[in-house]
Amino acid sequence: MQNLRLNINGDSVEVGAPSHWTLCEVLRYRLGLTGTKQGCDKGDCGACTVLIDGRPVLSCIHLAALAEDKEVTTIEGLRPLHQAAGGEGCDPVQDSFDRCGALQCGFCQSGMILSAKALLDEVPVPTEEDARAALSGNLCRCTGYTQIFQAIERAACERAGLEPTKPAWAPESSEHEA
Amino acid sequence: MLRLPEFTLTRPESLDAALALLKEHGDAALPIAGGTDLVPNMKHGLFEPKMVVSLADVPELHGVEETADGGLRIGAMTTLASLAVHESVQRYPVLAQAASLIAGPQLREVGTLGGNVMLDTRCQWYNQTYFWRKALGYCLKKDGTECHVVKGGKKCVAAASNDTAPALMSLGAVLELAGPEGAREVTIDEFYVADGIVNRDVRQGELLVAVRIPAPAAGHRSAYGKLRTRGSIDFPLLGVACSFDLDAAGVIANADLVVTALQARPTRARKAIALLEGADTSGEGFEAVIAAVAAAARKQCHPLPNIPGDHEYRREMVPVYVTRTLRAALDEGGPVHHI
Amino acid sequence: MKPDPARYVHGTDAPWDEFQVVGKPHRKVDGLAKATGEAVYADDIQLPGMLHAKTLRSPHPHARIRSVDTARAEALEGVHAVITGADLPTKYGVIPWTPDENALATDLVRFIGDEVAAVAAVDEDTANRALELIDVDYELLHAYLEPEESLERHDPAIHPDNKKGNISKHVELSFGEVDEALERAEAGELTLIEDDYTFHGTTHAPIEPHCAVARYSPDGLLTLWSSTQITHYVHRTLSAVLGLDPAKIRVVQPCLGGAFGGKSDPFSLEFCVALLAMRTGRPVKMLWTREEVFYAHRGRHPMKMHYKTAADAEGRVHAVDAKILIDGGSYSSFGLVTTYYSGQLLTGPYDFPAYRFDSTRVFTNKPPCGPKRGHGSVQPRFAFEVQLDEVAEAVGVDPIEIRRKNFQGEETETVNGQRITSNGFLECLARVEEASGWRERRGKLERGRGLGVAGSMYISGTNYPVYPNDMPQAGIQLKVDRSGVVTIFTGGNDIGQGSNSMVAYLVAEELGMDVAHVRVVAADTDLCPVDLGAYSSRVTFMVGNAAIDAARKLRAQIVEAVAEAWEVEPARVRLVGGRAIDLSDSERSIPTREAFQIAEVRFDTLGSTGSYNTPTLGGDYRGGTIGASPAYSFTAHVVEAVVDEETGRITVENCWIAHDCGRAINPMLVAGQMEGSAYMGIAEALMEEQEVNRFGLHRGPSLLDYTIPTSFDTPELHALIVESVDPEGPYGAKEAGEGPLHPSIPAISNAVYDAVGVRLRHLPFTPGRVLKELRAARESRAGESP
Repeated sequence: MQNLRLNINGDSVEVGAPSHWTLCEVLRYRLGLTGTKQGCDKGDCGACTVLIDGRPVLSCIHLAALAEDKEVTTIEGLRPLHQAAGGEGCDPVQDSFDRCGALQCGFCQSGMILSAKALLDEVPVPTEEDARAALSGNLCRCTGYTQIFQAIERAACERAGLEPTKPAWAPESSEHEA
Repeated sequence: MLRLPEFTLTRPESLDAALALLKEHGDAALPIAGGTDLVPNMKHGLFEPKMVVSLADVPELHGVEETADGGLRIGAMTTLASLAVHESVQRYPVLAQAASLIAGPQLREVGTLGGNVMLDTRCQWYNQTYFWRKALGYCLKKDGTECHVVKGGKKCVAAASNDTAPALMSLGAVLELAGPEGAREVTIDEFYVADGIVNRDVRQGELLVAVRIPAPAAGHRSAYGKLRTRGSIDFPLLGVACSFDLDAAGVIANADLVVTALQARPTRARKAIALLEGADTSGEGFEAVIAAVAAAARKQCHPLPNIPGDHEYRREMVPVYVTRTLRAALDEGGPVHHI
Repeated sequence: MKPDPARYVHGTDAPWDEFQVVGKPHRKVDGLAKATGEAVYADDIQLPGMLHAKTLRSPHPHARIRSVDTARAEALEGVHAVITGADLPTKYGVIPWTPDENALATDLVRFIGDEVAAVAAVDEDTANRALELIDVDYELLHAYLEPEESLERHDPAIHPDNKKGNISKHVELSFGEVDEALERAEAGELTLIEDDYTFHGTTHAPIEPHCAVARYSPDGLLTLWSSTQITHYVHRTLSAVLGLDPAKIRVVQPCLGGAFGGKSDPFSLEFCVALLAMRTGRPVKMLWTREEVFYAHRGRHPMKMHYKTAADAEGRVHAVDAKILIDGGSYSSFGLVTTYYSGQLLTGPYDFPAYRFDSTRVFTNKPPCGPKRGHGSVQPRFAFEVQLDEVAEAVGVDPIEIRRKNFQGEETETVNGQRITSNGFLECLARVEEASGWRERRGKLERGRGLGVAGSMYISGTNYPVYPNDMPQAGIQLKVDRSGVVTIFTGGNDIGQGSNSMVAYLVAEELGMDVAHVRVVAADTDLCPVDLGAYSSRVTFMVGNAAIDAARKLRAQIVEAVAEAWEVEPARVRLVGGRAIDLSDSERSIPTREAFQIAEVRFDTLGSTGSYNTPTLGGDYRGGTIGASPAYSFTAHVVEAVVDEETGRITVENCWIAHDCGRAINPMLVAGQMEGSAYMGIAEALMEEQEVNRFGLHRGPSLLDYTIPTSFDTPELHALIVESVDPEGPYGAKEAGEGPLHPSIPAISNAVYDAVGVRLRHLPFTPGRVLKELRAARESRAGESP
C-alpha cells in the first residue's frame, strides 16, 4: 500500500492504494470518480481515457503512482472547470454531444469527450479528418461515429463563431421551458 | 476487471539509481517506461515482477538532440507522439511515419521509443490471458514446452511487432545501453536476434538509454508501410521500412529494405536491396527493377501463423507493400497505410 | 384470448392540431448525465461491505465433471463463500421450452469458458487467487467444433437429455407451390439461381462488460442490479433458479453501456451474485472481464445457407427455397426463435408466391450463440439479397428495379401468413436511388468502384412473449406532482437506444408539457409495471403505445377538471406549451402545474396506467406466431465501395440508409439508430469474426483481436428517414434499431460485384478472401478465352 498524492480536477487528494493499481482503478474504486469507464481491461478501447497534463491517456494501463505530480482531468472535472472559468452549464463539448445525439449508451463517451476536448484545445476548428484521427483510439459501438463528428464540429464552430456544415439536431436549450 | 499482479513500484531519479535497483533485484525487477505494452502483458500474467522500476524520472533517458555529426540522439523515454511530430525527426520520414502509426493516439502519448525498440515479440498463442494460456497448455515462449505455430516446433517464432525497429534498422541506428558492467553501444542490426522468446541481445540489468541515428544524406529518401486490419490501434500484420539515397541523376545508393512482423527478427531483404542498389530511377527499366525487388522480397519473406490473421495473405502483401513503400519513398510520400 | 387491439391503439394524429414535441430533435432525458459522468452503470455501484466475486471457467471444450473440491479455496483468508453447480441445480433458459443452462455446471462443461464455480472474497485479487485453489477433476469428451459433425453424430451428446441428439431445433415450413415453380425452372420456363452462402459468427461487443451486484437485506429481500436488457425475465428466472418467492426479489437495470442483444439472456453472474449475497449476508459484485464477455457471447449464429430462387423473364420471383444449417454453439438460448426467424422473416418487402425453408440448428462445443441485432434474419437476408442481384443480372433488370417489381405492397399478407400494414419500402428505394446518384453512376464508375443495393424488413416486436400469457406486453404508470412534474414508471429497458427519452417525448406531447418536466423511472421491478424487455425491436412500438394510453387517460381528467373550473366545454381546453389554454379566450391560460392542481382537487390524487398488447397475429400453423409482428419496418441501402485489387481490401466510402420507421418520434435518435445499425453491419461484413481455434479456444477474446471499427474505418453514413405512418404504432411509429443493419452486408457484396465483377457469397469479406475470389475470376476468364 502506498500513499498517493494526486491532482485530480484541480483538487489535491491523498489516497492509499497498492502499487499495482492502475489510475482507472484508483479513480473508480478509491475516489468514487466512476465517470471514467473501462471496457476492455487493457488499453484496447479508450473508454478509460483521462487527460494527464491535457493529453489523452489510457488510465486502465497507467499505473496510478505515475500520475503523481501531474494534472489529471476526468469527465467529472469538465463542468466545474468550465464554470470556474466563468462559463455556464456544462463544458460546450459535453453539451454538444448531448445536442447532436452522440450519446447513445454513453459508456464510451467520457473517454470520447475527453479525447475531443484535447483535440479542440489543440486545434480550435478541426476538420473531420482531424476528428477521425483524434478519436481513432476511442471505440464507440453505438453511433457509427457520425453524430460524434457532428458534435465536435458544432462545438468547434460555435466557439469560433462559424456556421457548422452538418445538420443541427437539438436546439441550444430545452425549447419548451415554461 | 483484469488485474495486475502485485508488485512494488520504485521511481529512481538517476540512471545510476535505476541500474542499481535492477542489479540488486535481478530477475525480480522489471523496468517500465510508458508501460503501454508491459502493463497489458503483466495483466496477462506474462510477466510477474516483484518490483517495477519506473524510468519516468530518470533525466538521462529524456530529450532529443542533434549530434555533432548532424545525426540525431533520441532519449529512450521520448514518447511516440512527440517523436512522430518532432521537427528533427522529419528528416527521417521512415521513423516519423512508423511512430505515427503505432497503436492509437492515447497510447502514443505515453508509449516511448525505448519501449517500442524493446517491445516483446507477439504471438496469437502467447498474447492471451492466463486462463486462456492455461486452457491451451501454454506455449514454448512462456510456461510451456510446445510451439503451436509450427506443429512440433522447438523454436519460438513469435513475431517482432515493433514498427520503429525496421525503421531504425533501415537508418543504421545505434543503441546506447547502460548496465551493471557499464555502458555499451550496439548497432540495432546486431541487437535483434532470431529468437522469439527474447529477440533482443539485452543483458541482465541493462537499460536502453538512447537511440542514435546517423545524419541523413542530402538525397535521403525513406518511407514506412504498415498492413493492419484497422486504421488505428492494431499492431502490424506486416511492416516495411524502405530507405535509400538518391543522387542528382536519380540513381539509388545505400538502399535498405527491412520487413517486420514476419518472425522473431525483422528481416533485411538482401536480394531485393542488391537489386535496388545502383538502380536508375529515371530510366525506363525502373519499373522492372521495382517488380524484381518486390519478387525478391516475397521470396525471402515468410510470415508464419504466429500473429492473428491469414499468414498466406500477409505473404501475398509483401511485394505489394514493398512496391508501394518504395514508390512512396521515391515520391517523398508515405506512410503506406490504407487510411 | 388476446384482448381487443382497439384498446391499445390510439391513432396516428397529433393529440392537438399539430405535434409539439414529436418529430423534432430533442436532447435525451439522460444525455447530460452521461456526458458528465454522473450516470450510474452497474459497475459504478459500490455498497458498504461489498464483496467481489469471480467465476471459475472450464478450460475444456467438452468434459464431464467428476468432482469439484472447493476446500482449499474456502480456507483462503478473505474468501467468504464458494459455490458450485450443486448449489444451483435448476436448469433455465430464456425460452422456457428449452431450459438447458445451469448457472454453474452440474455435470458437463460444454465450451471453453463455461462456468464451473464462483467465489466471493474481500477483493478481486483474493477471489482470483481462490479460483486457483479449486480442484476440478474432468473426464475429457470429444468436442464438436463443426456443425456438420453435430448433424452426423451425437455420441457423446452435448445435451444428453435432448431427444434430438445434437440437433437443437429443426423447422421445415412450406408455403405455396414451391416444387411446381422449381419444375418450371427445370423445364426452362423460369430462370433459376442456386448457390451457397456463408455467414460467419460475430458478437455484440458492447463497450460495457456485463456486471451484476446483489444485496440480500435482513428482511429477506433480494435486490439485483444488473446490466441486463430483460429485467422482467431475469426476475422470473432468478425466482425459479433460487427457489425464491418472486415477491422477495427486486431487479433493477442501472444505466446500460450497450447491449445489442448480448444482454438479453439471464446470465450466470446474476444467479451467482444473488446466491453469494444470500450465503454471506453481504452485498456482492461481479464484473466480467472482456474475455468473459466473449465467452458469454450469444452473438450472431454462423449459418451455411443454400438458396434457390426461381424468377420469370421480367424478374418476378415465383419461388424461394432455402436450406440452412445453423451453428448454435453450446446452449439453446433464443435458438428456437432463431431457427424460425431464419426463415419466417424473409417474406418481405417482396412478394413470394411460394416459399420453403428447412432450417436446422445444431449444438457445438463453442460459446453459445443468441440474438444479435437483427436476430436470425440478417444471415438469410444477406444470402437472398445477393441472390436477387444475381437474378437481376440473369434477366437483365436493374437491381433497384427488380426490387420495385417484386414489392409486396401495403396492407397485405405474406405467403407465410404475416400481416403487413404500412410499408414504405418503395420510398426507401427511391430515396437511396436519388441520394446515391444510382441512375447516373451504377455500372458506369471506374473499375474498382461500385454501387450496390439491398432491401430488408424487420419486426417491431412480436406477438410471442417468451412465456405464454394474456397480460399486457408493456405497461406504463404515470404519477403527477403538484409541482408540474409528471413521472413515468416504465419497465422498458433503455439500453442506449433512448427508450426512456421516447416515453418522455410521448407523454409531454399528450399533456402539452415541456419534456424537461417529465421524469422517467425505468426497469426496476419494484417500482415499474412489467415490460418484457428491450429485444425484438419492440420497445418504441409497445411501450410507446402504452405511454400514450396512460397519458391520454390523464389528459382527459385534466381537461375535464379545468373545463369544469372554467365553466366551459372540455373541447375549449387545450394543453400546449406547458400551459392549459382556453381556445375561445386568449386571455385565459394557466401553467400546467395549476391545471394539475385543479385536477387533483377534482379527482383526488392523480395518476394513470397504460398498456399495450398485440392483436392476434400470425399464420395458423405451428410456429406461425413466431415472427408475427404488429408492424414491420422496411429498409433499403445503397453502398458505395472501392476495391483495391492488389490488396483485396474493400473500403466502403458511403452508405445511404433509407429506413421506414413509421414516424420519427425524435429524428435525431432515429438517425443515430440507422447509422449505428449500418456501422455494425458493415463492421461484421468486413472485419469481425467470432471463431474458435483447433483447440476450441476463442481465437482472440479481446477488443484488440476482435477488431471493431475505429473512427477511421467507418464510412460516411447518410441517414434518410422515411415515414409511412403505421396505423397501429404510437403516432404511427415503428422500429428503427435493428432493421437498418440488414441491407448493409448484401449491399456491400452487390457493390463489389459492380466494382470488380466478383460475387462475394461467403462472409467475412476479408482482403485475403477477396483476393482469392479475384484470382479465381481471372483464372476462369482466362480459361474461357481461346
